Formats: sequence, C-alpha cells, structure tokens
Amino acid sequence: MPVHDLGYRNWGGKRNHHLIRPLFVARSGITLIWRRRMLKLLLLVAWLPIAIPAIGIFCFEQGLTDESYRRFIVQTLRGPMERPDLAMQMLEDPVSIRHEVWSALILGFFRVPQLYSMVLLIGLIAPLLISYDLRSKAYLQYFSRPLSTNEYIVGKSAVIWFFLGMITTLPGLVVYLLGVLLSPELSVVSTTWDIPLRILMASVALIIPTTALAISYSACTVENRYASFAWFATWIMGSVAYQILTNIPRMGRGRRNAIDVDTERWLLVSPYHTLGKVETWIFGLDTGESSVWPAVFILIAISVIGTLFVRSRLIARLSV
Amino acid sequence: MKLTTRLHPNNVEPTLSSIISLSGVTKLYSGFRALDDVSLEIESGITGLLGPNGSGKSTLIKSLLGLVRNQQGTGTVLNLQWPNQVREIRDRVGYLPEDDCYIAGLTGIEAVAFMANLSGLPKTEGLRRAHEITDFCDIGEEKYRSVEAYSTGMRQKLKFAQALVHDPPFLILDEPTTGLDPDQREAMLRRIRTLARDHGKSILLSTHILPDVKAVCDQVVILARGKVRVFDSIKNLSKPAEPTLNVMVYGDKDAFLSELTEEGYTVTTKADGALKIIGISTDQVSSIWEIAASTGTSIRRLAPAQNSLEEIFFQAVSASEPR
Repeated sequence: MPVHDLGYRNWGGKRNHHLIRPLFVARSGITLIWRRRMLKLLLLVAWLPIAIPAIGIFCFEQGLTDESYRRFIVQTLRGPMERPDLAMQMLEDPVSIRHEVWSALILGFFRVPQLYSMVLLIGLIAPLLISYDLRSKAYLQYFSRPLSTNEYIVGKSAVIWFFLGMITTLPGLVVYLLGVLLSPELSVVSTTWDIPLRILMASVALIIPTTALAISYSACTVENRYASFAWFATWIMGSVAYQILTNIPRMGRGRRNAIDVDTERWLLVSPYHTLGKVETWIFGLDTGESSVWPAVFILIAISVIGTLFVRSRLIARLSV
Repeated sequence: MKLTTRLHPNNVEPTLSSIISLSGVTKLYSGFRALDDVSLEIESGITGLLGPNGSGKSTLIKSLLGLVRNQQGTGTVLNLQWPNQVREIRDRVGYLPEDDCYIAGLTGIEAVAFMANLSGLPKTEGLRRAHEITDFCDIGEEKYRSVEAYSTGMRQKLKFAQALVHDPPFLILDEPTTGLDPDQREAMLRRIRTLARDHGKSILLSTHILPDVKAVCDQVVILARGKVRVFDSIKNLSKPAEPTLNVMVYGDKDAFLSELTEEGYTVTTKADGALKIIGISTDQVSSIWEIAASTGTSIRRLAPAQNSLEEIFFQAVSASEPR
C-alpha cells in the first residue's frame, strides 16, 4: 500500500497523435533488447572494424606526400582489395583516385565485417520481436489499443532499423568523419562530399530488405529458434549455393580459363552477393558486366513481399 | 428489452444513450455459429455477461474490439459506428483479456506505462499514471519485477491496471477474478464497484462466477450457443413470474402443507426444507399465519421468494440445449 493512497483519479490530458505510437512500440523493443548483455557485447565488437578503413584513409592521405605510405597503399590495392588499376593510378596521379579509394575502403567495411555483424545481430534480435508476441499472446494487448497492423509492423521494424543503423550507418559516417579529420587538409571534402550520402543509401539498401526478411521469419512461427534457424540458413545456404555454382564450372575448365566464368550470373541466389552487387553500385565501384537492376528488383521484392507477409499473418490472427 | 437507467451516487450521472447497441451480429468459425444474430442494447452501469463455456462471450468481446472479424452485424459502441470505427472504439475502451497475455521482459510498471503510451498518453504522463493505477490495483512493489515472474493473480491485477491506465469510459473485463484468492477477489469486485459507482464508468463483466455478477452487476446478459437467452436487470430477473413466499416452519409440517393445499395454494418443498407457496401476494400473508395457528405449527421465517441467478442461468442454458 502506498504511503499516500490516492485511490482512482480520472485523467483528462491531451493524447499524442496516433502516428507517434509506433515510436513507443519501437522504444519498448529497443529497451528490451538493450538489456541483453550479449547484444551489447556484439554491438561493441561490431564497432571495432571501424579502425581498418580509418587507418586505410589515413595511410592514403599520408601517401600523397610520403613514399613509404604510398608503397603500402599500392600493395594493399594490388593485394587484399584486388584493384590493380587503382594501384597503377596511385603511382601516377593519386589525388584523382581519392574518391574511389575512400569509397572502396568504406564499401569493404560495409561488405565484410558489418554484413557479418548484421547477420549475427538480426539473427539474435529479430526472432524475439514478433514470434514472442505471438507466443505470449501479447498481440492482444497491442491490438486492443488504437494501433493498426501497419503501425505495429513499423514499430517492430524500427527496432531492427535502430540496431542496424548503430552497426552500419553510424560507423560508416564516423569512418568518413575520421577520414576527413585525419587528412592533411579539409579540402578533401570537396571531392568526397557525396560519400556520406552513398553511405546512407547503402544503409537503406541493406536495412530495408533484411528487416523485412527477418520479421517475416519472426511472424512465421511462435518458436523464435525456428525463425533464427531460417534466418541463418538463408544466408549460409545462399552463399554456399553461390560458391558451388560459380566454382564448379571453374574446376571443369581448369585454372587457366577461370576468368571466363560468369560469376555474376548466379549472384541472385545469394542474399549476401545480391546485397554486395547493389552496395557496390551505390558506391560507384561496380565494374561487373551484368546490370544491377535484377539485384535491386530482388531486394525490393523481398521488402514488399516480406512486409505484406507479416501483415497477412497478423491480420489472420485477428480475423479468425 | 430496454432497461431503466440507474442513478449513481455522488451525482455522477450516467449517459442516457446506449453504451453498446448491436444488431444481428453473427460470427462463424468454419461453419460453427459462435455468435448467432446477437442483438443487444446495453446502457451504462455494470453488465454481467454470462454463459457456459463456448457460448460466445469472449467472441462477442473480441468482436466489439475488432479482434475477430464478423460475418454480419452493425451497431454502435459509445456512439461510435461499429465495426467501421473500431479503432476509435479501442481508444475509449479498456480491455482485460481472458488470455494470459503479456509482453515478455517488461517489468509491471513498464508494461502498464507502455499500454498508456500506446493509448496516446505522453511518456512522462504515462509513467506517472502507471504508478497511480498500479497503486490503485494494489500491485505494490511487485511492479518493479518482470511480468514473467508474476503469479496468475498478479497478472490479473496487472491486466486490470493496463485496461484502466488511459482512463477509458468503458471497461470490458473478461474473467477478471480468475486466479485471485478470496481476499483479492473481493478487492477486485470492490474496485469494479468503485469505478462504476463513483467514477461513472460502464463495465461489461464476462465471468463464469455467478456470485461475482450478483455482487456487482446491475444487469445481466446470458449467452448460450451463440444466442442471447436472457437480457434484463438483475432486479427484474429476481422477481418470480408469480408472487411467491418462502416459508420455514417448525412443528407438524405435513399438516400445514395439506391445509395449504386444501386452501388452494400451490406449494412445493425446497431442498433446504422450506416451503415455497406460489401465487400468493404479501397481502394474503395473514391467511398463512391463521393456517399455521390452526395446525399447531410455528412459522420461523417468511419472506417473498426471489429467483436466484443460478436458477435463471441454468434455465437459460438448459432451454438452449438441443433436445
């Protein structure tokens, strides 16, 4: 019993607009997930690779004036980054490839450490979102309030958007900022000003379809482990299928003819490689012969179909 | 049947219009008629919604909130068009679901504040209001524990707090006393009475527990096999079809009984031994005393008979059974 028992009192304040209500769904989801120590650790680890592109940009900028840094950058472009064309230009006119080098470094950051972190992070949090609500019948609590299914989906998706933004968009922008700050002069902004916009676009290309896919798995089942399994299986099986489909012809033709194999033909079977194609295009580094539009279409289709599927699952629960 | 509007103490006047007015509501589950042409006009006050398992009580409640889709039916809830304005209706209704539903991971106070926010209360105000309501619902310090660790009774109280946090004018309570111990059950009924009598709230109380309905409700709806079988005020329902007296006698009961029968009264014997004299008004009571005196029996108790809610319920349910 409280010290001052006020009894029941009527309430007559002003209510928020209903468009704000998804924010409360999102905030509640973020709060719940934030309490998991494992996820905090994962977020911390996901920020560590930021050092790689930041050091790369620093070395490139130093390489404009310092021969030892220039040699290091040339070796990196020839080796791990597989861009011998840029390595040649680095020796001839390094300033002209500044935009490409910065973009390639940030794209590499997006493609490798952040995509793996993304798969792991979503695999851990997304199944908790809708399947938990279905299992604990919490959807009755949500939908007995003036909340539409669309607002609910937006609220739940926003939880994933927030965490993905934390490990992709934000570190990407921080890398760019660090690059600018570590450059000898601020005039680099005039040649790289569009990179933050490309980071935002690449984030959207990454976040929207992956979120739609993740919540559609989450809405499929009341058992969150099945949703997690389906999520990881999609990425792993897709990549394995892509590797098999592109390597078998190579093995058949022998190493000398490996260059003739059309690796882009099969990239749509793998979400990882489909995303990679679109992100590479967004950063202006797509040198492949095939069009990017089939990959863009696939990502849009996943986003639309995934969202409609979640909506239909929720409506089905409310329309029995 | 139109019911008279009751006046509440403390000068809280109920609205004269219907809280719920439904017409021809039908809900089919794979061909099974869960609700069969239900028409109702419920006015303010506390209305008990009774019925055996599977009678359609929860379906009716979920229909009102748009949580199930109906095949037919129109109406109004709180003067809002049903089912077209179901979202606005949800805004003004507090719902305590029968199901054990909770948002895993939240503490009690967070769960209540979250529901307040979903109903449009600003963040800080929602939290303040959640504290106020959890105190009213006697959740105490348990509000800082995770809802997953709550007992069934605590979850009932939490759901009640969630239903109430946005101060709705109309509450729909689906089995609110399930899982509560006798003390807590009495406290819950007291809260329901307080809300209706002192704060002018209208309440639809769905339950299996007839004493709960008797304790708090003004009117009652009995559903059976998806149809409304009984809908009237408890006062009207309690009146027998004919004036009847219950008489408990001491002495030669058989002689008293045969004398009454000779005088032309219809008399039955109840399970507790009392005699039920049917078709006798209170102004004929003197003749009963005279018969008792002539047969040497003494009357220990004499009172006008009332239909019990149990009788009304069982009659309504048995009448709906297929023969």
